[in-house]
Amino acid sequence: MNDQTNVKLRLSNSELWGGLIGLGLGGFVIWSGLKLKLGTINDPGSGYVLFYTGILMCVFAGAIIVSAITEGGPTLASRWENVRWSKPLVLIACLTAFAFALEPLGFLLSSIPLMLLLLRLIDPVRWTLAIPIAVLVPSGMWWVLKRLLLIQLPSGLFGIG
Amino acid sequence: MDTLVNVAHGFGVALLPINLLYCFIGVFIGTLVGVLPGIGPISAMSLLLPVTLSGTPESGIIMMAGIYYGSMYGGSTTSILVNIPGEAASVVTCIDGHQMAKQGRAGPALGISAFGSFVAGTFALVALMLVAPKLASIAIAFGPAEYFSLMVLGLVVLTFLTQGSMPKALLMACIGVVLGLVGLDSITAQPRLTFGRMELIDGIGLVPVVMGLFGVAEVLLNTEQAIKRDIINTKITHLLPNKEDWKVSAGPVGRGTILGFFLGILPGGGAVVASFASYALEKRLSKTPERFGHGAIEGVAGPESANNAAAGGAFIPLMTLGIPPNVVMALLLGAFVIHGLQPGPLLITQNPGLFWGIVASMYIGNVMLLILNLPMIGMWVQLLKLPYNILFPLIILFTILGVYCSSNNVFDVYVMIAFGIIGYFMRKLGYEPAPLVLAFVLGPMMENNLRKSLILSQGDLWTFVQRPISGACLVLALVLLTAPLQPSLRKKRELVALDEGA
Repeated sequence: MNDQTNVKLRLSNSELWGGLIGLGLGGFVIWSGLKLKLGTINDPGSGYVLFYTGILMCVFAGAIIVSAITEGGPTLASRWENVRWSKPLVLIACLTAFAFALEPLGFLLSSIPLMLLLLRLIDPVRWTLAIPIAVLVPSGMWWVLKRLLLIQLPSGLFGIG
Repeated sequence: MDTLVNVAHGFGVALLPINLLYCFIGVFIGTLVGVLPGIGPISAMSLLLPVTLSGTPESGIIMMAGIYYGSMYGGSTTSILVNIPGEAASVVTCIDGHQMAKQGRAGPALGISAFGSFVAGTFALVALMLVAPKLASIAIAFGPAEYFSLMVLGLVVLTFLTQGSMPKALLMACIGVVLGLVGLDSITAQPRLTFGRMELIDGIGLVPVVMGLFGVAEVLLNTEQAIKRDIINTKITHLLPNKEDWKVSAGPVGRGTILGFFLGILPGGGAVVASFASYALEKRLSKTPERFGHGAIEGVAGPESANNAAAGGAFIPLMTLGIPPNVVMALLLGAFVIHGLQPGPLLITQNPGLFWGIVASMYIGNVMLLILNLPMIGMWVQLLKLPYNILFPLIILFTILGVYCSSNNVFDVYVMIAFGIIGYFMRKLGYEPAPLVLAFVLGPMMENNLRKSLILSQGDLWTFVQRPISGACLVLALVLLTAPLQPSLRKKRELVALDEGA
C-alpha cells in the first residue's frame, strides 16, 4: 500500500472510522444495558449481558482505533478504487426507493419498475429482453404465490395485486 | 444392531416420495449454487429457509442439508473449468484443478473430485451415524456452564479463522450477540432494544438478517466488478480417472476424508479450513511437491474429499449438542427452530425419525450427486454461461419474496434491505459477516445458559473453570484469543484465515 492509500491519524482513515462506529455502538449498548437494569451476579437482570457485551465492544473497537492510529489504514477512497462504485450505489438507491414504494404501491407496481431498473442500470440488458423479464417474472411469482400458495402479497393503495 | 434398525427406519423416512423430491431439489440447488461463482451455500440456504415452512420438518431439513453438501460437489466444477471458486471451500481446487483442465485433463479432474467427494461424504455419514448417538448420550450430562463455554469456544474459533483482523471479527461477534438479544427477555419478559416497534417484540428474524448480509450484500459486491469468465471450451471426456490416477489419488482421498471429518466437527472449523489443511498435508507428504500448482491430481483429490467429509462432520455438534459449528449449520438450526424443534442430545431419542431420516437422506443425496455431477456435467458447464446481469436482479427479487413469505411482514423486507446495505459497507471495510450471524444465533442461547449457570452457582464465576469440559473450552478460547499477539502464530492464522461469505 502506498502513502496515498495508507494513512494514520487522518479523517480519511477507514479503519479509524470503523473503530469509531464500533465504539459508538458499544457505548449505546452499555447505556441500554444500564437502562434495562443489570441485576446482581446471583440473579442477572435483562441488561446484564448487554452491558458486558457493550464493554467488550468498546474494548475491541478501541483495539481497532489504536491499530488504525499506530499502523495506519487504507483511506476510504482506496476501498472503492478500481471498482464500479456507482453500480452498488444505483442498486442501493433502487432498493431504498422500492422499500418506500412497497406498501403504498403494492408488490406488482413496485417490483416491476425495480426489476426494469436493475436490468437496465447494472449491466444493461437490451430493452427487448429487459421488459419481458421485468414484467413476466414478478407477475409469474405473484401468480404462483397468490393463486397456488395462497400467500397474500401487499396490494397497496390501488388494490393491484 | 440398534444402529442398523435405526438406519432402516431412517431409510423408511428418506425414501418417502416427498422426501426424495426435497432431497433432489436440495442437492440440485446445492450443485447449482456451487457451480455459480458469487452465490454460495449460505446465500442459497438463506434464500430457501422460508420454503422449509411449507413442508414437514424432515422435508425442509433434508433439502437444506442437501444444499450444503451439494454445493461442495458443485464448487469444484467452476474451480476446475473456470478457475473461479464456486464457493469458498473450492478455492484450493483452482490451483491444480484448472491446471489439469488447461492440460486437457478436465475429465479426470472432475471425475476424481466427484468420486473423492462421494467416498468422503459416505465415510462422514457412517461416522456421523456411529459417533452422534454416543456423543449425544454424553452430552445429556452437560450443564448450562458447559453449553455456555462451548458456544464461547465456537465463536472464538470462528473469529480466529475469519479473514482480516481479529478485533474486527470479535466486534462483529459482539454485535451479533446484541442483535440476537433484541426482543422480549426470555426470563423477565422485558422488551429490549425494540425502540417501541411492535415488529421487534419477537426479535429480529434470522431470515432477513442472513438474506441481507449474504444475499443482497453479495449482489451489491458483485455488481462492482464485471465478472469475466475464461471457460475451458474443449469437450470434456474421460471422466473416469485411469489406473495411475487412482493409484496416486487413493492416499489423498483417504487422508483428506479423515482430516476433513475431524476438522468439520470442531466448532468454528469447517469445509474451507479442511480443504486448505488437506492441500498443505498432501504437498508436505508428496515425494514430488514441485508438481503441486502445475496440475497434480492429488491437489484436487485431497481437498475435495476433505471439504465433503467436513460438511458431514459439521452435523455432529449441531445434532448432538444443539450448537452450530459454523454459519451454514446456524442456518440449519434456524430451520429446526422454525419447525419448533430443538436439536441437542435429546433429538435422537425423542425424534429418531427426523435424525435417522436426515442421515439416510444424505446417503441418497450422495448417490444423486454422483449422477448429477458426472453424466450431467455438460449441463452445469452450460450454466456457467448464464449472464450475471439477468441473474442478479432475479436474486434480488427472490430474496424480497423469500423474506416476505417467511413472515408475511413488510417490515422484514425493510430489515433485509437495511442489512444488505450494512453488509455491503461492512465487507468493504473488512468486517466479515460470518461471526455476526453465528453470534446472532448463539447469542440468546449463550445469555440463557450464562444466566442459568450464575443462578445455579449463586453467582460463583469459578463454576465455569472448575467444571472440566467448561474449563478446557475456556482455556482453549483464551489461547486462541491471545494467539494473534505472537507474531509466529499470527502468520499461521493469516494462512488459514477463511472467507465464509464466499
